[in-house]
Amino acid sequence: MSLPMSKKITFDYWKHLYSTRTGGMVSSEIRDLLSLSARNDIISFAGGLPEVRALNYQKLEKYIKRSLKTDGHISLQYGDSTGYYPLRTKLIDIMAMEGIEVDEEDIITTTGGQQALDLLAKVFINAGDHIITEAPSYTGALNAFKAYEAHIIGVPVAEDGIDTSEVENTLDRLYSNGEKVKFIYVVSNFSNPSGFTLSFDKRKALLVLAKKYNTIIIEDNPYGMLRYEGKAVPSIKELDIKGDNRNVIYISTVSKLLAPGFRIGWIAAPHLILEKITLGVQSSVLCISTFSQRIAYEYFSDPAWQENIIEFINIYKQRRDTMLESLEKNLSGIGQWSRPDGGFFIWLKVPEYLNMKEVLADAVIEKVAFVPGTGFYVDGRGKNAARLAFCTENRENIEKGIRILSKIIKDKIKLYQSFT
Amino acid sequence: MKKNIAVLMGGRSLEREISIKSGQRISNALRKLGHDVTKLDVDQSIVDNLKAEKFDLAYIALHGKDGEDGTVQEMLEVLGIPYTGPGVYANVLSFDKIISKQIFNNLGIPTPLFYFLNASSFRELGASKILPHIVKKLGLPLVVKPSAQGSALGIKLVEREEDLTDAIISALGYSKKVILEKYIKGIELAASIIGKDKPQVLPIVEIVPENNFFDFESRSKAGDTEYFVPARISKDEIKKVTDTALSVHRALECTDLSRVDIVLDSSSRTPYVLELNTSPGMTDTSLLPMAAGEAGISFEELVEKIVNMALI
Repeated sequence: MSLPMSKKITFDYWKHLYSTRTGGMVSSEIRDLLSLSARNDIISFAGGLPEVRALNYQKLEKYIKRSLKTDGHISLQYGDSTGYYPLRTKLIDIMAMEGIEVDEEDIITTTGGQQALDLLAKVFINAGDHIITEAPSYTGALNAFKAYEAHIIGVPVAEDGIDTSEVENTLDRLYSNGEKVKFIYVVSNFSNPSGFTLSFDKRKALLVLAKKYNTIIIEDNPYGMLRYEGKAVPSIKELDIKGDNRNVIYISTVSKLLAPGFRIGWIAAPHLILEKITLGVQSSVLCISTFSQRIAYEYFSDPAWQENIIEFINIYKQRRDTMLESLEKNLSGIGQWSRPDGGFFIWLKVPEYLNMKEVLADAVIEKVAFVPGTGFYVDGRGKNAARLAFCTENRENIEKGIRILSKIIKDKIKLYQSFT
Repeated sequence: MKKNIAVLMGGRSLEREISIKSGQRISNALRKLGHDVTKLDVDQSIVDNLKAEKFDLAYIALHGKDGEDGTVQEMLEVLGIPYTGPGVYANVLSFDKIISKQIFNNLGIPTPLFYFLNASSFRELGASKILPHIVKKLGLPLVVKPSAQGSALGIKLVEREEDLTDAIISALGYSKKVILEKYIKGIELAASIIGKDKPQVLPIVEIVPENNFFDFESRSKAGDTEYFVPARISKDEIKKVTDTALSVHRALECTDLSRVDIVLDSSSRTPYVLELNTSPGMTDTSLLPMAAGEAGISFEELVEKIVNMALI
């Protein structure tokens, strides 16, 4: 009896039709390992999840009812592509609290900070264009930029932020070659994932470079209001506005001020850039959720929202302190970590020969999760690093989780040392 | 006849995500077949959940630790609930590749030459000193893999001796023991088997990963790996592979279903057995449903066969 002809089976029938940019969209072992962190018996230092349980749900209910009663026919309808105007007035008040003076025409709202990144990538990046980011940098931003096939140049960070000398060297090298950099992306306060804050001197230096090389800085500031100690540093945007207001695009989000579920972010930028971005909004979502924005407007109209921020700060500060104390108790002399003055994240580094992805494999079995450092680089660096989010878990779990994680790290070190 | 079936899925193994996909697909098929279905994410409350109602059957859609190592099967034996797939003993034997490969050796079933080590070998007995000897015996490249882990997590093809330490430490992150195995250059094949008293091998699937090594990345990027069914090998080779797969299935005391992973050596054309899986994936890109499909068995029919065999 002859065998049937071999049949080639291809699962992805549409492979020949996908755009080239999908080549950058890949699954990862980290994602699969972290699927275990979705279980509620896991102590998770993985996601930067705000403590939404600290919000006053009764008040939120009141805001929702008022939104519907007062002008439900507006909040349930399509809105302006630039965002719900009354909310924009509140957002400029928020920016003013951080020293940034803009008016309502200088900002548009977006569907979360992530859409802001996507829109900026859409407006600025052609395939192969150079952009500069911190290294490590926020994964969501890297993914947004990769989706448009940017050539991402990661510049190392120190405790005071991105290495501006290296930024300058990079700019000089490229521009001498007739190339350009489309933008420099930084998370200026309590950066995700490093926890470092860009110093005032470096902010000024970066702005000087942006002007010299005629490029743009995208300043992402989701955590600026969540400062636990120290003095706030003037934003790069504020410095730019005091000059010719040409070189900084500022983005932020209500996710940490209110809640991520609202999916509201915003971009403050020169008018002509905003016009392009607005076209981008129209071609992707038409307009941002009017309903979400309407409720957010109610929330930010009630001065009590600032008490929420104080409450958040108290909670997160205690959790940060607990994590720092636990790290000191368990990994002193073995690892190094950042000591952020605010925000959500601590960046942990262990001996170079350790691979934190493999530590994660052990950790999830022991019911602890975190994000290995390689997720925050485009070039494979970060193997011996990890981002630890202290915002989500209570203090008892933080202590327990760090204890378990530290034991795994120490066991790995012992194992490695047995090879040498 | 309508049955009340608990689909056990998820769990705490590193293959949780694939298990959830398998479990979801199986649940949908069982509903289409007219059964009552309860999906149970396996955790500490699994015993309470299984006792909460009278289940006629537990469909095991778990992969990896606790699902394919005899753990959940033993618990179901205690509870007296019939379950799909091979029994406790078959799971215990096949999950640990060291045990199963030793059985293959004892029975003269070709399997790549291997050595195993564990963390204690290195920590307490200075095993790093024997690595050069292992390299000499196995040659390079060689395969380093956890002895008890699925989905190719922790598997590395080591081409340089200086990369061996990292590969071993990586593998030990996924399992207490690590296998160092001779690399067989050849055609990767999957032989899926179903049947109780007369197990039958479904059409053999040939796997051609984009980067020539079927590691984790290849397994999860379904679009970049090519599959040929039946495998593009001769009639005689198909028979050899089929016979080998059946002898492995029997040697490990399997029943109802299994999937045997084999590499057909390019030069000698000998089928070398890599491992047997007792709870193969059942997602829309998995090998067992693929082979069944080419044999004219739809996914629902496959699930029904598995259910019926478990209830005998």
